[in-house]
Amino acid sequence: MGELLGNSLSNSAEGAQARGILPLLPAGAFYALFFGVPMLSLLVISLWRAQGFELIPDFTLANYQKIIESSLYRGVLLRTVGVGLAAAAIVVPVAFTLAYVMRFVFERRGQLILQLVLLSLFSGYLVRIYAWRTILGKQGLLNSALQSIGIIDQPLDFLIYSNVAVVITLVGLLLPLAVLPLFSAMQNVPRNLLEAARDLGAGRFYVLRTVLVPLVMPGVRTAFAFAFLLAAGDYVTPSLVGGTQSVMIGNIIADQFRGTGTNWPLGAAMAFIVVGVTVLLYLAITQLMRWVTRW
Amino acid sequence: MVRGSHLLSRLFVALVLFYLYAPILVTVVFSFTTSPRLSLPIEGLTFDWYGRAFADPLIPMALQNSAILALVSAVGSGIAGAAFAFGLVMLRNGRLRLALLTTSMLPAIVPLLVIGIALAVFFRTIGLPQGLFGAAIGHVLVCLPFVILTMNARLESFDFSILEAARDLGASRYQAFRDITLPLVRPSVVGAALLAAALSLDEFVVTWFNIGTQQTVPTLVWGLMRRGIDPSINAIATLLLALLVCLVVGSNLLNRRKS
Repeated sequence: MGELLGNSLSNSAEGAQARGILPLLPAGAFYALFFGVPMLSLLVISLWRAQGFELIPDFTLANYQKIIESSLYRGVLLRTVGVGLAAAAIVVPVAFTLAYVMRFVFERRGQLILQLVLLSLFSGYLVRIYAWRTILGKQGLLNSALQSIGIIDQPLDFLIYSNVAVVITLVGLLLPLAVLPLFSAMQNVPRNLLEAARDLGAGRFYVLRTVLVPLVMPGVRTAFAFAFLLAAGDYVTPSLVGGTQSVMIGNIIADQFRGTGTNWPLGAAMAFIVVGVTVLLYLAITQLMRWVTRW
Repeated sequence: MVRGSHLLSRLFVALVLFYLYAPILVTVVFSFTTSPRLSLPIEGLTFDWYGRAFADPLIPMALQNSAILALVSAVGSGIAGAAFAFGLVMLRNGRLRLALLTTSMLPAIVPLLVIGIALAVFFRTIGLPQGLFGAAIGHVLVCLPFVILTMNARLESFDFSILEAARDLGASRYQAFRDITLPLVRPSVVGAALLAAALSLDEFVVTWFNIGTQQTVPTLVWGLMRRGIDPSINAIATLLLALLVCLVVGSNLLNRRKS
């Protein structure tokens, strides 16, 4: 009996490490092979050249240079950043308010609201974009409603096939995603902390700026990064509700891979430029928020 | 501190939910209206668009491919993701656990466009022709973070001491897993797998870059959308929505059951 016990003890001590790793292996290997390696190969071919349909191995920054030097691509990139920032600037405060209301105002019913918000995340990506076309169209629901009430005489034509339409649609797509990190950050903030600050005489806005926002800062940053990156990387929204003037970098990247004049290395370089811009903006926003909460 | 703003809060939540659900409402309503022009007032109701949708010659192939991909995603990401979440919870090193969890979330943060083209590049490099197989790998990859996240949240409240108790009472490692762990976590795993199936059925971007000439329901819908306004899009979309809502609600109910 003693021997048996000793055996099983040493067995669990030695084997625990190896056995603990075992369940991690299938998904870990899958990630390495089908996420890690493909991302690396994308980086590698962004340094290659394209000749017709052939990919020529090379080690050149010519693709990156071409993008930065071309005024067309620069313009598209700038517009993408603008649309992404506009979408994030609407999404993050709205998601923050929603998370606040769910966490501190409704408490128990907050969970139900969260479920409803998240359900919309899983209900038809293409479908929701397409439906905005029906709502915002020239003879769409919004315009005919406004006309029948008599607020406007002529349909508002900036509502569809424009940057406005792209932002309106993106906000609906990104809001549920941005709510998640904010809500989970606020769940770790005890309610009585905010109440204590109020009892000590701090104004509502002062509590928000100096207590709540700094505490949920990681959530705010994550929400911003989610919103901006996914807005800047979306190509379906601009191609369905955007106009000729709202082509975004995602459309151009997509065209490099599935279009007539494809150029995979150039498309790959554009993708990494988008990721790089996002990282830079993330750092800038982090710095800005640090400044705002301290002032 | 909040009582006074209760009404305002309610109004705000109502507005946000309206904004999120307006497109869905529009899709469902206009899948039943007679006028092919999508505008008000509604003239009459019909099921014609549903008939038209199913008359599309590409529909059988699209349905079959979507079903295959959903099944592969549910089983593949369900099992691998649940195992991964298990491995994470059992890790003693908290910093390593957090690092692995964060890394495993990356495919949900990187834009789908980038994942789609990265896979396309990879498959081309290894000489795998575009098609259902590559799309299936993309689907499993896209689903894994969500499975891991839900399973991780479930397992954090899992009481591992009952496993030790079973081992102390003489159960083998395998017996403890089969008789105790598995029955307890099965609803959560099935719930996470349903979520994966829903994500897969709705996945468009990664599919588009990797499936080649094959079709799934979303790529078929995309083709119809590009061609112009066709009310049968609303009909297909409504059926897809119904299925997605069932899967997600089912997943939620299974996950809510106390383990």
